[in-house]
Amino acid sequence: MNLFEPFTIPYMQRALVEVLVLGALAGAVGVLVVLRRLAFVGDALTHTVFPGVVMAHLLGRSLLLGALAFGVLTAVLLTAVGRHRRVGDDAALAILLTSFFSLGVVLISRTRGFTADLTVFLFGRVLAVDRTDLVQTLTVAAVAAIVLAALHKELVLRAFDPEATAAMGYRTGTLDLALNLLIALVVVAAVEAVGTVLVIALIVVPAAAARLLADRVGAMTALACLLGAAGGWLGLAVSYEASVDHGVRLAAGATIVVVLVGLFLLAAAVAPLRRRRAAAGGHP
Amino acid sequence: MSLLEAFGEGFTRRALLEAVMVGGLCGVVGVHVLLRRLPFFTMALGHATFPGVVLAGLLGMSLFAGAAVFGAVVVLVVALLGARDRVDDTSAVGVTLSGAFALGVLLLSAQAGFSRDLTAYLVGSIVTVQPGDLVTTAVVGLAVLATLAALHKELVLGAFDRGGLAALGYPVLVLDVVLLLVIEATVVTSIPAVGTILAVALIVAPAATARLWTERLRATMALAAALGATSGVVGLTISFQWRLAAGATIVLVAAVLFAVSLVVAPRHGLLARRLAHVGPGSAPTSSRA
Repeated sequence: MNLFEPFTIPYMQRALVEVLVLGALAGAVGVLVVLRRLAFVGDALTHTVFPGVVMAHLLGRSLLLGALAFGVLTAVLLTAVGRHRRVGDDAALAILLTSFFSLGVVLISRTRGFTADLTVFLFGRVLAVDRTDLVQTLTVAAVAAIVLAALHKELVLRAFDPEATAAMGYRTGTLDLALNLLIALVVVAAVEAVGTVLVIALIVVPAAAARLLADRVGAMTALACLLGAAGGWLGLAVSYEASVDHGVRLAAGATIVVVLVGLFLLAAAVAPLRRRRAAAGGHP
Repeated sequence: MSLLEAFGEGFTRRALLEAVMVGGLCGVVGVHVLLRRLPFFTMALGHATFPGVVLAGLLGMSLFAGAAVFGAVVVLVVALLGARDRVDDTSAVGVTLSGAFALGVLLLSAQAGFSRDLTAYLVGSIVTVQPGDLVTTAVVGLAVLATLAALHKELVLGAFDRGGLAALGYPVLVLDVVLLLVIEATVVTSIPAVGTILAVALIVAPAATARLWTERLRATMALAAALGATSGVVGLTISFQWRLAAGATIVLVAAVLFAVSLVVAPRHGLLARRLAHVGPGSAPTSSRA
């Protein structure tokens, strides 16, 4: 299989840049998601931006702005409703997720071409990414990366020791909101190009694999970025190879996810060996 | 009047019957889902049965059987992955969810014309429910309710005090798997008619709403079942009247019931909490504010 040859074609180049940037960004945010056990929040956000995308589409505005508005709305509602003890954060998430998604479906069911739109939203069209999409993704990704870099220490502290974070004078509620907004930014940056199913995979799978292989948060983050980007690259190459050379049409987004899950399973297989060696007394 | 006429038609009557049965069943099961904090698992189950449905479709087998088999596999995978100490339950569910769903898409993308089937799978097509689907729903529903009734005491004890249940000599793991399989059966039964998203909504929203109104478990279950069935009927009525997507409208009705209850419910509602916070003396003024 050739890892470089497909990417001489312009649309494959744009797709590659898109998945490399998103893979790295989602990997970095994903480590926090996995440490805080927020995979469900990621899943919820990928669904709740849907009505925003639909409304923007109906009004002829930028899809990104619509997604951004609903991403922020969800992040705020989640942080607020999840604090209600009798409801619980997971129930609140499930209700927000399903009702926002349904709102999108109801809105879009009034238009023509209903099923095609829904499919694009779910699986994206990474091979049809144009220059404008790329610029938008890069801008949102840059904002998310800056926020992440600025708050990284606080967010990690919050993940491991909420009491100490509060005692040191940080507002944990604000930090939670910041993390939810960060996840929303990743989803928004990615959703138009690669679809919701791929976004949640990019966030959770590389980070979960990195967690199996690394102990320190810094190493975990670096590894997750690397795995996310590598999975994107490999997935695109496999999908291209299968479709062009072997006549088996494999959807690009879904292939990337399957490659990522393969990397995760590999990590799960290797992790016990590494652990045994570490337990043997740290000899090199 | 057109509304009444619409309800005279065979397909609308079948849709209503299905909505009432699925709504009631999901409501009862949902109380257990919330007690064990399993909404994310339920969501994953809905997505993860997808490759089973696709495979069954390709092989010309019953979609229901395909979903059921794959759902059982997912229950096992999540249990195994979650048992490793470095992979927490949430991440295990997240990996399984996206991996299985992508596998389904991959299988489907190798075929032509895949977008229509997928939409029906996600948001359901309750108006095309067949008499056979109704029978399946009724049979599975009765089996699920009978299981829950027979094991009620054990399951509730397990939700609140796993250690206590084990100490009393019950097989905790077997009970866990039974509950997960009950949830799986409910989701799989609901999917052909109402879709994955709606199945999760009908399991979580009515149960969460009922929990705001009452603290007794049996009352919660009865109320959740009633709310689920009501959401189904009201949602269908609205969708027929204004020609909206049926499944999605049902979810929105269930969500509105929840949102209203979150504000006005006695004791646990936001208004009641605020009043209790301010104190009885100043209650009237703050209730007006």
